[in-house]
Amino acid sequence: MSGAGSTDSAERLLSRLVTMLAFALPVIFVLVPLAIFLVYSFFSVDQGTIVHVPTLGNYARFFTDPIFLPVFWNTIVLCVSVAVICILLAYPAAYFLTTLKGRWRYALLMLLLVPLLMSYVIKIYAIRSILGLNGFLNKALVALGILDQPSTLFVFNMNAILLTLSLLLIPFAILPIFLSLERIPQTLLRASDDLGASGLQTFLRITLPLSMPGVASAASFVFVLAIGDFLTPQMVGGISGFTFGRILYSQFGTAYNWPFGAALSVALAIVVIAAILVGERFGRSRGTSV
Amino acid sequence: MIALPRPSTIFLAAITALVAVLLYSPLFVPIVSSFFTISHGNVDWSSPTLSTYVTLAGNHEILAALRTTLIVGLCTVVLSVISGTLLALYYHGRRSGRSYLQFIIFLPFLMPPVISGLALLIFFREIGLERSLLTVVIGHTVFVLAIVYRTVLMRLQSMSRTLVEASYDLGATGWQTFWRIILPNLSSAMIGGAILAFALSFDETMITILVTGTQSTLPVRLWAMMRLGFSPDINALVALILMFTVLLCVLAARFLIPRQMATERN
Repeated sequence: MSGAGSTDSAERLLSRLVTMLAFALPVIFVLVPLAIFLVYSFFSVDQGTIVHVPTLGNYARFFTDPIFLPVFWNTIVLCVSVAVICILLAYPAAYFLTTLKGRWRYALLMLLLVPLLMSYVIKIYAIRSILGLNGFLNKALVALGILDQPSTLFVFNMNAILLTLSLLLIPFAILPIFLSLERIPQTLLRASDDLGASGLQTFLRITLPLSMPGVASAASFVFVLAIGDFLTPQMVGGISGFTFGRILYSQFGTAYNWPFGAALSVALAIVVIAAILVGERFGRSRGTSV
Repeated sequence: MIALPRPSTIFLAAITALVAVLLYSPLFVPIVSSFFTISHGNVDWSSPTLSTYVTLAGNHEILAALRTTLIVGLCTVVLSVISGTLLALYYHGRRSGRSYLQFIIFLPFLMPPVISGLALLIFFREIGLERSLLTVVIGHTVFVLAIVYRTVLMRLQSMSRTLVEASYDLGATGWQTFWRIILPNLSSAMIGGAILAFALSFDETMITILVTGTQSTLPVRLWAMMRLGFSPDINALVALILMFTVLLCVLAARFLIPRQMATERN
């Protein structure tokens, strides 16, 4: 940094380089792969090699084959159920957090969020052992007299996927709901109280509507994360728990049909984008953005 | 919140406790099993042991996977912090085209990992890049970039413009302003972003499974082992990783939360 002139030209060079990188990085590593992926969905496979001739065959197969649409639909229903379970558990917990004061509030929030950062694979494995025939859940239900003998109802089927995904994704529902509850102005609640509303009325007419954006974000987070997961169904779903993520993944492994897998991914992407847009739309309304 | 009547507080507290139990029970299982033997679902509380930790020290396969994970994590952190900070600096204060590029950066984070992973898999194949640790690092960087970018951008936006203006008024060059004013102000956001990036990379499984070559990271190794069932020393490893993760969380919170809460108060 001796002369002003050389610094200037170095700076200009650097700023040009940064400009180039700022455009090139996202385009090369995100947009181009996604574009190639989309193009692949119009290719086909013949005896193990990919035929680079555009066709709508993959999409036709997706819509006409009796396997794919039902699995697709069941998976959507499953993931909506996961979102509902997560919200039913997360909402009261998030509400409880906002009733706490200062330090405790954030300490407990951290406590409920920390499990997110713990190994996903290990959590799935542990949950499977809890749900299994010799697992803790069956032991507890038998001990409580709810079941006569251990049941296989909770592992290697759709129930298992539902329960496991819900357990894994609850923290993703807690955070947005907590944030939207925390942003409700206290004055509104006091005003409602002063005007003679009961606690329940205040909750139903003030708190609940104002926290809906958080609920919408939570639902869209959980749904998107659940529908894209192929590890959990693979691990706890057994033979009967077949989800769309698993079918998709198998196209790149055992079935070895990349173009068809790409077409299935496009279908998945459309659902995901719709979920994100819905979450975004309702997550932003009424001025309490999350 | 206004004070609630007692019964509803108890109800809410009970649900919160239930949620905490649900969230922590899957973590509890491996930790308990790392100190006690479990047979047929019954814990043998009478004989605590550290033998699992001793076995772990001799498990070269798993330690190699751990080393690979750490290498991938560090490379990812370096790449994502540099490019995330560059992008944040570039887009900050620029209107045209920013929202589109920002959207592109966020795509891999918003999209299901299976889509990002498959897109990259086909991309690497088309450009003739063999699957290896390099492709894993690229995959992880693309995935975590949004987090680093956003963390740094938020700090930039909360930074007072007057600081930069004062620096120029006092005769500093662009370089000097960058090194002495902007970068020190961003450092804690960059460290916080780096910790988050490392934590995400450390546990990333779905993209890694798709783009990895012969060398696998720890989660992928565990995933492969899980089909056959785990040996007890894996529990010891999990217990150690959990402790390490909690430490990382506390560190990340230290670097990220105090400033944010301070800016919210203002």
